[in-house]
Amino acid sequence: MNMEVAHTREEDKDLLKVAGEIDAYTAPELREALVPLTEKEGNLVVVDLENVDYIDSTGLGIFIGALKSAHNYNGDLKIIGLNERVHRLFSITGLDEVIDIGEEREEAK
Amino acid sequence: MSSQSCVEVHTEWGIVSARQAGRNKAKEIGFGNVDQARITTAISELARNIYLYAEKGEICIGEVSEMGGAGVKKGLQITAKDVGPGIDNIREVMADGFTTSGGLGAGLPGVKRLMDHFDIESTSGEGTTITAIKWLR
Amino acid sequence: MGDAYLRLQEQYRKILNQYLENKNEQGLYHAQQFSKKVLENQISPEEVVSLHLSTLEESFPDIPKGAQDSFEFLLEVMIGYGLAYQEHQSLKDRQRELESEIDVAANMQQTFLPSGIPEPEDLDVGVLSVPASKMSGDYYHFVHDENDCLGVAIADIIGKGVPAALCMSMIKYAMDSLPEQRLQPADLLANLNRVVEQNVASNMFITMMYGSYDVRAHTFQYAGAGHEPGFYYSAEADEFEELSAKGIVLGIKRHAEFREYQRVVAPGDFIVLLSDGVTECRTEQGFIEREEITRLIRNHMHLSAQEMVNHVFHELEKLQGFQLRDDFTLMILRREV
Repeated sequence: MNMEVAHTREEDKDLLKVAGEIDAYTAPELREALVPLTEKEGNLVVVDLENVDYIDSTGLGIFIGALKSAHNYNGDLKIIGLNERVHRLFSITGLDEVIDIGEEREEAK
Repeated sequence: MSSQSCVEVHTEWGIVSARQAGRNKAKEIGFGNVDQARITTAISELARNIYLYAEKGEICIGEVSEMGGAGVKKGLQITAKDVGPGIDNIREVMADGFTTSGGLGAGLPGVKRLMDHFDIESTSGEGTTITAIKWLR
Repeated sequence: MGDAYLRLQEQYRKILNQYLENKNEQGLYHAQQFSKKVLENQISPEEVVSLHLSTLEESFPDIPKGAQDSFEFLLEVMIGYGLAYQEHQSLKDRQRELESEIDVAANMQQTFLPSGIPEPEDLDVGVLSVPASKMSGDYYHFVHDENDCLGVAIADIIGKGVPAALCMSMIKYAMDSLPEQRLQPADLLANLNRVVEQNVASNMFITMMYGSYDVRAHTFQYAGAGHEPGFYYSAEADEFEELSAKGIVLGIKRHAEFREYQRVVAPGDFIVLLSDGVTECRTEQGFIEREEITRLIRNHMHLSAQEMVNHVFHELEKLQGFQLRDDFTLMILRREV
């Protein structure tokens, strides 16, 4: 049950690469890394979940919180690189309607 | 209070001097070896907090007495007074488990346990005064 | 403490001298028993050192000064242990206090769940809800109405434990305060969504599946808010299908709309509703597949609905080595043949 977060600032966005599992234990660390980035006016934050194999509901909550925060600061949140299991979770919960989970994996690399 | 001796604490030597003053006074009043060790440990903890976190401060040691049911009770009083950042949330530093944090105020619950009476007053940005008494049984 | 301490002192003197005389295992056994008593009486380690020194001085009046002083030194060292021990005791007491508070809260939470299982004609209902720890973030609910419809709700609050449980109580009250007249499942979810959206923190949400079973017409109308899909078993085809209802979780969008679905339920068919604690069951080999759950249900299909959910739970519990990672709720509604 480990998670690693790597942050890089790119020209027009912040990229956060996450690896491991996002659950009740690791979620606070993700929140600490993610939420401050969404509090920059007009900022685009992209989270790459290519190396994440599991997210639980607490993990989803972090993304919801981050999305709302991004919208408050006129920014946006994008999630890319979802595996099948994680994609299913976003789809079942209907969160794919509110968060952009576009197939941007190639572009971001 | 009769004869009070004060030691300024701004180096680790100051901590040792404060302990020495406490031990001398404790012996003089008649405390046994266990209580002597408790009193000096309490002084150590209080002095370390001053040394690590306050700009300046002093530890004063004195003898106190009180009329009780069984006659006059003698005790040793430690007063630690500093000009420093103060403690914002006293309840938090007095809670068990905080000790392990190693920050300002760490070890205060221990001091309270080692002594019989414990009193703390602190103003954020101004400083802290702690008074602790051990009664002779 | 005075008297007890004096008695212990006397006893220590006796057993130490006995041991020094005979130097046998029995003497050491006494020492071990003595340490229990010392702990019981909350005598700190520095006091034990002092006790040892004073006993030693009595028995060996000509003990070298250096040896004597070394005990004073040891005594100083032991003070820290004594403090750590006392702190540990006080933290243990506090933990006990917190645990009993949680026990009370958990009992209170149990009263939020329906106390019985409805028994409408021609419908066999079974349900089991087990929290991963003491308090649950899962919720289920039954509503009977005068039109011979049985409303069933199953909900999962994000996270688990106390925070989820607090949120669950809100859902319970929100459901209780819905308008008297029967709401269609989709309208009911839209209503609840408004309450949840206004009342929970931005990173909290709730998933729910709500269905209404018409006991006369044998139809099941349902809608879902981001909830884990259930299963529909068709007796005629002898097959399980996924019972999903697309919709966003409660608490995210201010104005959410939900789609309504309907099934005609044939004799012997049954509906399985569950929380993700059932499907996200994790064994040493990884997550179990949804097929594993339908296989378990199939194995117990000849039993009553309640026995089915009980057996499925016990087998999943066994698969996970009797450690639940998430709250577990499983509900089955079967039209009797």
